[in-house]
Amino acid sequence: MTAAVLQQAHRPPATRAQERLWRLLLLTALLGIVWLARDLRWAEVWASAGFLLSGLATSWMLALAAISLGALAAVPLALARMHAPAGLRHAVVMLIELVRATPELLVVFWLFFGLPAVTGKAVSGWTAAVAALSVIAAAHLAEVVRGGLVSVPEGQWDAARAIGLNPRQALLRVVLPQALRNMLPALIAQLVSLFKTTSLAYVVGVVEFFRAVSIVNNAVFAPYALYLTLTAGYLLCCGLLTWCLRRLDPNYLLAS
Amino acid sequence: MNLDWHIIWEYRSDLLQGFVLTLQLSLVAIAGASLLGTLVGCLRASGGFLARRLTALYVELLRNIPIVVKLFLAHFILGIDALPAGIAALILHQSAYVADVTAAGLRSIPSGQSDAALALGLSRWRSFCLVLLPQAARAMMPPMTTQYTQIVKNSSVVMLVALQELTFMTQRIEHETFRGLEAATTATVLYAAMALAIAAAMSGVERALERRGA
Repeated sequence: MTAAVLQQAHRPPATRAQERLWRLLLLTALLGIVWLARDLRWAEVWASAGFLLSGLATSWMLALAAISLGALAAVPLALARMHAPAGLRHAVVMLIELVRATPELLVVFWLFFGLPAVTGKAVSGWTAAVAALSVIAAAHLAEVVRGGLVSVPEGQWDAARAIGLNPRQALLRVVLPQALRNMLPALIAQLVSLFKTTSLAYVVGVVEFFRAVSIVNNAVFAPYALYLTLTAGYLLCCGLLTWCLRRLDPNYLLAS
Repeated sequence: MNLDWHIIWEYRSDLLQGFVLTLQLSLVAIAGASLLGTLVGCLRASGGFLARRLTALYVELLRNIPIVVKLFLAHFILGIDALPAGIAALILHQSAYVADVTAAGLRSIPSGQSDAALALGLSRWRSFCLVLLPQAARAMMPPMTTQYTQIVKNSSVVMLVALQELTFMTQRIEHETFRGLEAATTATVLYAAMALAIAAAMSGVERALERRGA
């Protein structure tokens, strides 16, 4: 008896009946929401569906562009952090920590004001947004890449060198591909976080999903229907990514 | 590029005022998110079936919606005033992550600990509060530091509902004087200082917990 109670204190396994009950509950809740929302101004939302979808596509493009550029930039940052001489290493660590401590919104403003000061001409909102999201991604992914590289056993490197690959080939063909596999959950987690951060790109005039919904709402005023669509859109996209992540690594801690 | 740092001195009272609001918002949100998040996390790790499923749903729902959306939902759709809406959005958003940290912390404790506590005659409630939670707290400190820094960072989005915090002030300086770069630099330094202060405070808490545990 006590043993059963003890077990229960630590993650009791769910029975099949409980699972079924939960699904039923979820379905009821979902149907309840649909029932409550049936009289909202869906015609207006439907009329702007194309525009809203293009906004959603822009959000995806922003997130994907930023994660690609960020991951590329993260490799040299991680390598510098691991192997560079002390001076450069400390500078890189400082830079990474500084970006990580800066609010995302402020990073966007930074690039929006900062890039023109460097290049001498104004940058578009899109360029500033992609640059800002890439910088954020790079700062976060540098640690991920470093962890991934460290996770590959030293022997792999030695073996690659022993069969005659030069250091560059050994890194690109042997160590990085294996590191990438270990990094995949963290990369997807970063993509989820970036996808949500794209909602800040509207402050520099990029018409992504959030901005698209606001524009439509200003034109037709259907706040409840539109915000329900907005919430559902983000939930579905991030939920899909999170689901992929959970399939890859059920124990991944998304909070860190 | 030529920078004019004089402008920062001219706007010192605005910047200070923004800094203070950011600090206040962050502290309230840190307290709120810690309480709510820990509660949800405890239920998630060791509640009954329904409690675990509901808390998992809570975490998934809140984590997959951007904080701006929550903020606008609270302010423009539900019509809550800017300040309470901002605080609510910050607390709800981060509580989901804190819940994840708490649940992971509790799960990291070997089940022998709760067995031993119950064998000593502690009730389930007391064994949870006196044995499991203090041990989990130690494991939670490093990820909690990240979460608290995240709260300070996220507090910048409340400028979008016209709350005059630090990031809002950099915008004001940009609009009035076109010295956005200087203002952004100052704000970044202040945010970094807050992150450092949190890291220092948390490592102090971690040491104190370790001393108690030893």
